[in-house]
Formats: sequence, structure tokens, C-alpha cells
Amino acid sequence: METRFDEQGIVRANKPVGAGLYLMELEAEKTAHSIAPGQFVHLRLPRMEAHILRRPFSIYSATPENATIEILYQCVGFGTAHLSELLVGEVLDVMGPLGNTWHTPDSAERALLVGGGVGAAPLFMLAEELLGKGIAFDVVLGAQRKDALVCRTRFEALFMGGSVHAFSLAHANSTLFCATDDGSFGHGGFCTELSKDLLSKQAYDYMAVCGPEPMMRIAVQQALECDTPCEVSLEKRMACGVGACLSCVVDTSEGKKRSCVDGPVFDARKVVFA
Amino acid sequence: MRVKMRVNLGGLGMKNPVTTASGTFASGREYSDFVKLSALGALTTKGVSLHAWEGNATPRIAETPSGMLNSIGLQNPGVKKFLENDIPWLRKQNVPIIVNVSGHTLNEYLILLKILEEEKSIDAYELNISCPNVDAGGMTFGSDVKSVEEIVTRARALATKPLIVKLTPNVGDIAEIARAAESSGADALSLINTVLGMAIDARTKKPLLARVVGGLSGPAVKPIALRMVYETYQAVSIPLLGMGGIMNGEDAVEFMLAGATAVAVGTANFVNPRATIEVIEGIQNYCEIYGVKDVNELIGGLQC
Repeated sequence: METRFDEQGIVRANKPVGAGLYLMELEAEKTAHSIAPGQFVHLRLPRMEAHILRRPFSIYSATPENATIEILYQCVGFGTAHLSELLVGEVLDVMGPLGNTWHTPDSAERALLVGGGVGAAPLFMLAEELLGKGIAFDVVLGAQRKDALVCRTRFEALFMGGSVHAFSLAHANSTLFCATDDGSFGHGGFCTELSKDLLSKQAYDYMAVCGPEPMMRIAVQQALECDTPCEVSLEKRMACGVGACLSCVVDTSEGKKRSCVDGPVFDARKVVFA
Repeated sequence: MRVKMRVNLGGLGMKNPVTTASGTFASGREYSDFVKLSALGALTTKGVSLHAWEGNATPRIAETPSGMLNSIGLQNPGVKKFLENDIPWLRKQNVPIIVNVSGHTLNEYLILLKILEEEKSIDAYELNISCPNVDAGGMTFGSDVKSVEEIVTRARALATKPLIVKLTPNVGDIAEIARAAESSGADALSLINTVLGMAIDARTKKPLLARVVGGLSGPAVKPIALRMVYETYQAVSIPLLGMGGIMNGEDAVEFMLAGATAVAVGTANFVNPRATIEVIEGIQNYCEIYGVKDVNELIGGLQC
């Protein structure tokens, strides 16, 4: 395992991007250079007073040239509400790189990425990686409404960018699919309806899923039914982030596993969903 | 000024007064990217039991004001795996090893101790009769004078290494329990284990922990821990390993002033992976600033 560290990060941007979601850009040089798709950071925020624990966040993007990382997060409690109030220039502690990575086999010919809500964020670096490896993939994104589909434009740009264009030609039909619960964009309904449809029409040899647990459970079931290797990124309440405290355990067919070091990415066949 | 940092915890020599609180540091490997383990006074392992324990259902933790609740339930792979996987690695780290010993029954504790006695690289035992998160054993052993006497006497007869007995704060009279452990042969006492508590989500009307109740730790418990170390220091003459919400060197000094010979850093590791090292440096700085030449001068130095 690579060396983990705790470095100071500086807030470079921190803005609402719609539907209770925020995008934070952090200058964190070591993290930007070492974080791999699927891994996460454990943040200690300034001025948290009586709230002493760190907060784990997945990484949306890393730009080593600029020494920056981006975190897409949803305001769900005190910690994230406080995070959303941090100003440009404020300093926080960034522990990383933590956890394992996605394990797309190099032999994969076509992958399916399914992201629900803010769960789409940890799939973006995987998409970039697949692109670099020349592995074709389709992406399915789901959200409650159009304004919550915040990752859509980035994935679109990935599909339409210069180098991506050649890729698209080489691998015809690589497509981004969107679903909204209220039908305000793309398919009206759940993203798992789209993934079900795709799995019935196309052969995939790898599937990556991240999102709310009920959505992941359905997507995993679909993958198992058509025997497609599938990985899920799980989020659990966490304290240490390095595998010591045994707070964030996940039930698997091989016993309890720590989502901070044995995960957050797990083989979907082994996860025992509650 | 060079401060003498060495302490003796009931026969266990420590190059400085700082160890880790059991269950917050695993067997050290998880923190080895952040902390040079040989810099610690000692390393206290996660609780080890005779057989593998699965621990409790999740959620197992909840953040509470200035602290956290946990109900891990002593999940561990059992002593065989501990001796195979953890000890060989830990032995190379050049740090005294305190093994936290847990059990459901008196017999389990004793069989476990016999097995651990075979392992020469273990330097001391911490007898865990204070875990609030298991149904059998744990805290039930540590809450009653008679059962404390029985288990400590029997453990003492087996243990050839320093025997530290870890006490629960969830008792009416800590001094009475402490005296029972001392008279039964304990070499040192460690306190406090976590304080039994609970947290509720009013919106869902549900407890935040799957087990409903759990152990409170962090700065929230520090005043309770200090009071109990102080009371225990008055009651016994064996050395104390103080813990409960220590986040920095000054917190550690407060415990020593209350009567602790050494201290353990627990929840702080989750907040700051280098907390143990910073506590050691903080104690040293304090001593330099206040002209304390030997850290032992701090023990019980409270001026009332």
C-alpha cells in the first residue's frame, strides 16, 4: 500500500451547484498527485468545535498539474453544512489517499457505470481512467430532478472532448444516459430502469455502481442476474479512516470488512445488503 | 533542558508516559504511516479474546457533543490470528507491547492468558474487565468487588508479566473496585474505560447506535476521568494509567497531576493520526516551560 499522509489543504473554491450540492476545490498537492479512482480523503475541518470527528469524502477529480482536487458533496448534516460555509483561503487537514480503488480488469471490453445522485462523483475519475486505457463504457446517471444532475456536463464533455472524439469513433455507441425521478431531464424514472434496459441489450464485462443503498441493491441484483462482474462503492459511518477502529464495517460473505481499507469498493457478489 | 521522560508502570518500563488506548490503534500497523511506533512509551493493542468475536451490528458509532459513542463489541479475529499476524510485525517495531485481554467467561480469560504467556515479546497485560459493549463478560466482571477479586487473583496466579487491570467508570465507588484489584495482585490500574451512554435521533425516533447504548469517549468524558483517577490515586498505592479524552500534552499533564503515572491516547487518534506523538511532545514542552526536570515529579502533584 502506498504511504498515507495528513496534509494541509487550502480551499480554492466552494460553491453551491444546485439541489443542496456543493463543489469544493482544494489545493492539496500530495493528494492531487497520489489519489486513485475510488479512493477517498478524510477531512478535519476548522472551527468544528464540539464536533470532533473527521468526515470522509470521495474525490470527484484530481488535477496534479494544479495540485488540486475537487469534492462534490451534499449537505446532509452539521459537518457538510459547516463545510459549505468554508471560505476561499481557509485551511483544513486532508488525510489520504485512503481506501482501495476500482478494479476494472484490463481485459474489459465494455463497462457500465451507474451513479445515483452525488454517487456519480466517485465514478468520474474511473471514467477518465477507462478512457485512458481505451476501454469502452456507457454511463447512467440518475437524480431527483434536472438541477441535481450536476455531474452530467462533465461526463458529456468527457464523451465529446478532443481525444474523446477519436475514442467515440473507435468505440461506437459509447453513450451517457440520464434519468430523473420527475422526468425533468432524460428518462422519467429511476436510473436502474436504464441500467436494466442496457444490460438486456448489451454485453458488459464490468459494472461500477455508486449511489443510495436501495439503488445500489437493485443495480447489483441486475448485474448478478446477467452474471456481469460488478463493484460497488459503499459509505459507512467512519471514525479513524485507516482500519483501526472497526466502526465502518460492511457485512460480506467473507465476514465483516472495513469500508475504509478493505473498501470503499467491494465486489458486489460478496456484499450482504441489509 | 533535557526532561527525564521515563516512567515505570507497575514493572513495565516506558521511555515516556504515553501509550495508546485499547481499540483505537489496532495493533499499530494501521497508524505506522503517521507515527514511528518506537517513539511511543508503549503500545496497547485492541482487545484480544480466545476465539474470534464478530462484534455488534452497525451503526457502531455516533458523534456526540465533544465526543463519540461506540459499540464495536470487541470485534477481533481471536488470539491465534493475533499471534500469527500482529505479534510478529509488532515485535519488530521496538516498542513495549501491552496486550488487552478480553473474555466472556472467567475461563476464557484464563485460557487466553496461558496462551499469551507462551509469547515472550509481550511486555504486559491489560485485563479488560470494563468493556460496556458485550453482553457477557467485560464490564460485568469489573463492576462488582467479589468478581474483580476472583478474576484478578486467578489472572495474577498465571501472569508472569505486569498485570494492568482496566476499570470501568460505570460503578458507584471506583475506590472500592480499585482497592479490590490492588489487594488481588494487580500491578497497575488503567482507567477509565468508556462511559455508558446513548444518542437518539428525534426525527426518526430511533437510537443512533444499532445496539442502542454504547461507550462515550473523547473530551466530553475528561472531567469524569480526571475525577476517577484522582479518587483512585487516593485509594491505592499501585501506579495508574490514566485516560479519557486526552487530546494534547496539557490534557496528559492534568491526568498525571491527578495521579496517573502514564497516560493513554484514544479517541484523539481518530481526529489526528499523530495525536500520540503530539501528546509526548506536549508533555515535554510543558516540563521545559515549567522547569520540571523529571516527568515523575508531576505524578499526583495536584495542589488542592
